[in-house]
Amino acid sequence: MNIQFKKGVLEICVLSVLAHKDCYGYELVSEISKRIDISEGTIYPLLHRLKDDGYVTTYLQESQGGPPRKYYQLTENGRKEEHEQKDEWIQFVASVNALLEGKNYAAE
Amino acid sequence: MLQNEQEYIRILRSRLEGTLPTDELEDIISDYSEHFTMGKENGRTDGELWSSLGSPEDVARELRVMHLVKKAEDDRSCKNIFHAVVATLGLGLFNLVFVLVPFILLVVMLLMIFVIGVLFTVFGPAAFVYSILQLAGLSAFAIWLSPVAGLFISTGITTSGLLMIIGDYYLARFFYRVGIRYLKWNIGVITGTECAA
Repeated sequence: MNIQFKKGVLEICVLSVLAHKDCYGYELVSEISKRIDISEGTIYPLLHRLKDDGYVTTYLQESQGGPPRKYYQLTENGRKEEHEQKDEWIQFVASVNALLEGKNYAAE
Repeated sequence: MLQNEQEYIRILRSRLEGTLPTDELEDIISDYSEHFTMGKENGRTDGELWSSLGSPEDVARELRVMHLVKKAEDDRSCKNIFHAVVATLGLGLFNLVFVLVPFILLVVMLLMIFVIGVLFTVFGPAAFVYSILQLAGLSAFAIWLSPVAGLFISTGITTSGLLMIIGDYYLARFFYRVGIRYLKWNIGVITGTECAA
């Protein structure tokens, strides 16, 4: 699939995964790259940007037998942003699908 | 070239040093080295992890641009916006057309308005003084049909010159803000490398 498409939706994907649960980097990246074929390296810069923008914070948590892991968590702003982007996305996809399937023309 | 964790981190570090502040740099390095550690715990090899991450050069380029645009946003200056634009150009040919061209046009336009504004504010008062000399019968030749009209016209020129300079300042601020938003959108959409795996 077109790289621009993927890049554009990556942010909403990251926000959505984090809305379900806090994740450490590797977990989040695997979750997303399982479904979307994108270079995993681009997710970390995105996380970094989301942190800069105040949508995401991090905290360290001990793991069994390993060094502490850095967990990513949505902030209150991040939750709001996730809701908004999700609504926009759903509407957008519905409109595009309607166009692709030619429903609008059929109705006339 | 050996494609292992140490090499990846080394390249990333060397490309980002000097641009990113140390704490941010370490934060990022820790993300990538954690990724390698976790990946290997899950049975993936250095080579696999390298190619699924994408080249460290690309990752570093993206992080650099992001940082420079953020910096230009937080601390507005000609130098910072210039650095941000130049870094964005490195992301691809597309940006030569869609970032560099509009940027140059804007800078030229803002400069032109400024220069014209300055010329007006210099010429206006000069013409005003000349009109007074003319009224007093001291000037050799007339630049206005009537020296009284000259007083009004030169006042108008001075005022519009000043307005142009002030307006130019606000215009520049406006375009700076819009420009940053555009660059942010641009790096969100344009950057990224196709998955090698």
